[in-house]
Amino acid sequence: MLVRDVMTSPAVVIPPDTTLEDAYRVMYEKQIRHLLVVEQTHLVGVITDRDLRLATSALTLSPHLPGCGISDVMCRDPLTADPSDPIEDAAFRMRERKIGCLPVMEDGAVVGIITGIDLLDALLRMTGVDKPSGRLEIRLPDQPGELARLTSFLSHRDVNIHSILSHPEGEWLRTVLRVGSIETRALAHDLREDGFDVVWPAEKPWPR
Amino acid sequence: MAEVIYHPAYRDYSFGEDHSFSPLRVDMVLDLLGSLGHRVETVAPEPATHQEIVEVHSDYYVRRVAALSAGETVPDCEEYGLGTPDNPVFPGMDEAARWLVGGALHGARMIDGGAKRVLQLGGGLHHAQRNIASGFCIYNDLAIAIQHLTRRGLWVAYLDIDVHHGDGVQQILYEDKRVLTMSFHESGQYLFPGTGDVHEIGSGLGRGYKLNVPLQPFTEGESYIEVLQQVVPRALRQFSPAVLVVQAGADAHVDDPLADLMLTTLDYERIFRLILGWADEHTGGRVLFTLGGGYSFRATPRVWTLLYLLLHDLPVPKELPEAWRSRWSAVMGGQAPTQFHDAPLPANAVPARAEIERRNRQTADRLFEAVRPYWF
Repeated sequence: MLVRDVMTSPAVVIPPDTTLEDAYRVMYEKQIRHLLVVEQTHLVGVITDRDLRLATSALTLSPHLPGCGISDVMCRDPLTADPSDPIEDAAFRMRERKIGCLPVMEDGAVVGIITGIDLLDALLRMTGVDKPSGRLEIRLPDQPGELARLTSFLSHRDVNIHSILSHPEGEWLRTVLRVGSIETRALAHDLREDGFDVVWPAEKPWPR
Repeated sequence: MAEVIYHPAYRDYSFGEDHSFSPLRVDMVLDLLGSLGHRVETVAPEPATHQEIVEVHSDYYVRRVAALSAGETVPDCEEYGLGTPDNPVFPGMDEAARWLVGGALHGARMIDGGAKRVLQLGGGLHHAQRNIASGFCIYNDLAIAIQHLTRRGLWVAYLDIDVHHGDGVQQILYEDKRVLTMSFHESGQYLFPGTGDVHEIGSGLGRGYKLNVPLQPFTEGESYIEVLQQVVPRALRQFSPAVLVVQAGADAHVDDPLADLMLTTLDYERIFRLILGWADEHTGGRVLFTLGGGYSFRATPRVWTLLYLLLHDLPVPKELPEAWRSRWSAVMGGQAPTQFHDAPLPANAVPARAEIERRNRQTADRLFEAVRPYWF
């Protein structure tokens, strides 16, 4: 999944001569936390609701007044993303630098913004419960062809796969599939017969 | 006393011999009641009309079902959940599904006309969405019947005890403030359809009136009934419905081959008695039951026979009639039970019992945290 698939576009932008009060109003009215500061077409900074709150807090030594310009408070030269970046790249940079958003740039112009919330949405989309589906969890040997063996099993049964998530676990590849079927127990039974190590659905603790 | 709605055409709702959603289950119920010496008097409904179906479903979806039903080819049918392993196409599927909707609608009309206890001996197709067939369900008989009741000015509490989340009913009525939905199901983290988290609480005017209790796998009767009692009476007091509609799926039974909860028929007896008590207390006794899931031939016919008996204030027999056992023994895998009720599960059946009970209790607490801000 790419940044362009999950970014918010167009982003809300404001000019550098905006006052703190006006920036606050834009955030409040649009219910957002990040504004991109753009001069003509050139990105010059990012200002967040946290920047505003810290700058104007009565707890600071000399709080900024509502009429001050944002340029003293905003973050200059922010990190940016390209629409074609994979989202895990964007997530890694945001996590490492502890920032909440990246402006998305194409040919030097702002085309959107990606925030932590967009990444959460992406996680939800990838885990795939937007369609009625059942869950299968399988431990595959971490070897060539194992995942293919699993997907072709499902393909022969005409079972649609809505999503696959997997992560390495020692010498295993733990794989969670959401499939378009209510009959996951029957599938699990047949997968076991075929030699797969099915974690879920499990056998009932008290079989009859 | 109770009214029972049934028509032999319900048997035509069949996806094929090897399919889980088998019409034999209701045949077994009727035969068991007969073998126990009860004369089952039923009221025959009419099949629902196309017009009644499109009250809830999109016209383009219904037209596709009708085309497939008539043997035509519909290239994009899988996008609508049709022609899949769960919901294979069969000739006459449109009419068969309309019969089941007609039965539920008939039940709604009887209650509107003054009936108290009504049992629709079929249907309960709670997964069907506005334009998708899902989980063996083509048309959403429940949502159509509920909408009929609300249009007649009767606010409805819907209780879904099928082991799967009642996602179709919830989705269709998500913004409707006149319908309280309550679904008790195995958590979507583990079981189809994957939804039914406590945080799905409705939207718009319906916010706070869509309740979900996702239970841990291997939940037993004690814990199930504890959270049922924790949630249902409190929600009914808050909502003050005129009618209770119950989807009485039997697939939370320990023998069910599709799911992982561990109720016995003894638990179902307590659950049905509780529900009838709540109907007497909160909805003037007005309650419409439908069937639903339930895929164990050993368990499901007994659970639904039990429902019939309790609705009619009839005694529950100790033993199963020998004639019935021998007629259905093969269907039950050659292992027909001898007693009507299951034996209770042994005390050590589930090693993680205490943890499961704790988590279910906590789920009910979190449900109230989620909806309390929207309750006056």
